[in-house]
Amino acid sequence: MMKKIIAPVTAGLSLLAAVSTQAEVSLDAQLDYELSAYFNDRAVPSVDQRLNNSLSLELEVFTAWDNDNQSITFKPFFRQDEMDDERTHGDIRELIWNKLTDDYELKLGIGKVFWGVTESAHLVDIVNQSDSVESIDGEQKLGQPMVQVLLEREWGNLDLFVLPYFRERTFAGADARLGSGLEYADAIYESSNEESNVDVAARWSHYWNELEYAVSIFHGTSRDAALGLYVENGKFFFQPYYAQISQLGAELQYLNEGWAWKFEGIYREGAPTNLVGFGYSAEDDNYFATATGFEYTQVGIWETRIDLGWVVEHIYDSRQDKASFGAFEHDVLLATRWAANDDADSTLLAGVVYDYEYEDYSLSIEGNTRLFDGLSLALEARVFAPADDNPQIGFRDEDFVKLTLSYYL
Amino acid sequence: MKKILTSALLVAMAVSSWAQTPEEKGLEIAVEGDKRSEGYGDSKVKLKMVLIDKKGRESSRDMRVKGLEGKNGEGDKSLMIFDTPKDQKGVAMLTFTHKVKSDDQWLFLPALKRVKKISSRNKSGPFVGSEFAFEDISSQEVEKYTYKYLRDETINGMDCFVVENIPTDKYSGYTKQVVWIDKAEYRAVKIEYYDRKKSLLKTLVSQDYKQYLGKFWRPGLMVMTNHQTGKSTRLVYEDYAFNVGLKEKAFTKNSLKRAR
Repeated sequence: MMKKIIAPVTAGLSLLAAVSTQAEVSLDAQLDYELSAYFNDRAVPSVDQRLNNSLSLELEVFTAWDNDNQSITFKPFFRQDEMDDERTHGDIRELIWNKLTDDYELKLGIGKVFWGVTESAHLVDIVNQSDSVESIDGEQKLGQPMVQVLLEREWGNLDLFVLPYFRERTFAGADARLGSGLEYADAIYESSNEESNVDVAARWSHYWNELEYAVSIFHGTSRDAALGLYVENGKFFFQPYYAQISQLGAELQYLNEGWAWKFEGIYREGAPTNLVGFGYSAEDDNYFATATGFEYTQVGIWETRIDLGWVVEHIYDSRQDKASFGAFEHDVLLATRWAANDDADSTLLAGVVYDYEYEDYSLSIEGNTRLFDGLSLALEARVFAPADDNPQIGFRDEDFVKLTLSYYL
Repeated sequence: MKKILTSALLVAMAVSSWAQTPEEKGLEIAVEGDKRSEGYGDSKVKLKMVLIDKKGRESSRDMRVKGLEGKNGEGDKSLMIFDTPKDQKGVAMLTFTHKVKSDDQWLFLPALKRVKKISSRNKSGPFVGSEFAFEDISSQEVEKYTYKYLRDETINGMDCFVVENIPTDKYSGYTKQVVWIDKAEYRAVKIEYYDRKKSLLKTLVSQDYKQYLGKFWRPGLMVMTNHQTGKSTRLVYEDYAFNVGLKEKAFTKNSLKRAR
């Protein structure tokens, strides 16, 4: 793993060295120490480790020249994890050249983009692969090789992407917490070009008063892995299968007084059919999925400085119980967001995702505060209560609390 | 004859001045103040914000603000970029001020690469933990208030108009503001903010004014004191620059992602 990133790191550093003779280079670093505590031993497969230490380092090197119309950002990331060798990994989050002209903006290299508006699910967000070992909410992403051209016009913003290389999803190790219990075999692809398949994507976005909207398309290798069972020498593996898909996405957000109404939805063609508990069939299963809801914010409740938000979202997947593992098929998110508006920028988000078909739920709490300038503390806690027939039953013993201290250099 | 004409003119002027209601005079002062700040084109400034709690403990934030003057009756645009606290580095906020309708405001969160629109309902809320509300730091357009001239008063040796401003937006956190404007240069040297229960909430004092390009007056220091909590916030401005050639494209939703 480390070998794979040494070459780009060296390339990035020499590129910066070449440029830096002309311009000023800034360096930032974030060092995280993370302590996770699990409440239970795990039954299958048996794991009795309840505490886990983990360290990560993210650097950001930045330089700009040509009157700030050109810049290079280089962001390598490393993690060392006590329990999970799969989580001990490195990645180039960004190594990207940005050029700004009067007509367009060009980005070339490894980058990250975010699409979407909802909180519970990030359905339309497809450019970057999820770095799933980093967090189970899909919000941590692997760097994506890309050529991006952005046009800003009267009629909105148009982003065009060519994505020449695919990043495989990361998975927790077999014996690690939050893992599936099996090791993973080498991935297989529908495209004969495998991970070198050239994907394309585009997104048009615009706004009108308090209404924001976007439409996106994607054609190429699915970022979601269909997992097949694979046996070798009597040992079982999961084998990720990455299909060729086409996806149409839509995003809407309307702000009205304290209300933020949100919708995002996708229609996807070419995804393999999931067979519950038995992997997938290569037969295409076209489907749509939506996340719809609102966030209502009360500013300065109880005559304090505190803002209190209420988040309600409904997530739907037309495949229902054949949706891929980990997808929300028929769920409701109820959450409350607190912003203390204090000098430490303290926030808290607590929520429950309720699955009204399986009649089960999961709870989460995420909080953040600054101890002093340069040191922040984050708290994450999750409780999983899957029903016996829910495919996510494996998470039953994985309730945890995680504290992260972030030191900023 | 000449004498009679002069007297008539004097009488006419006096009558017109009597006929001017306190509301008309208040508006006239606001319009004149606005006129004097016209033509700055674009600007850049560094800003240190110091939050001071009841016990006098301080914590600070550094930011840079770029501004673009509105053309053709449009409101101003501004881009605020945070440098510290370090965990907030790269957070950026874009505001399109509008004269009548609510301002448009977006926040960029660099860790997620996410641009989020902020509800205008938040305008009465505290700005980054300070004693300034969002509405206090946004560009002050004439149309955002109705006015009433109250009296003349001298503070710190400056001869001032005292004007009452009543916000037109129902989401404002204030029932009124009382503003001291110096007669010589039309600078707001002191503002008192009254909360929804009409009691005095905060006082803003602006000082160390300097003139730029021989025309535009800007304060070097602003202190907002909250009388109800005992907390205060100090804003120290540095390195003001005007007409630096900033373009529209530096003030777009997309520009937030490359703001640094």
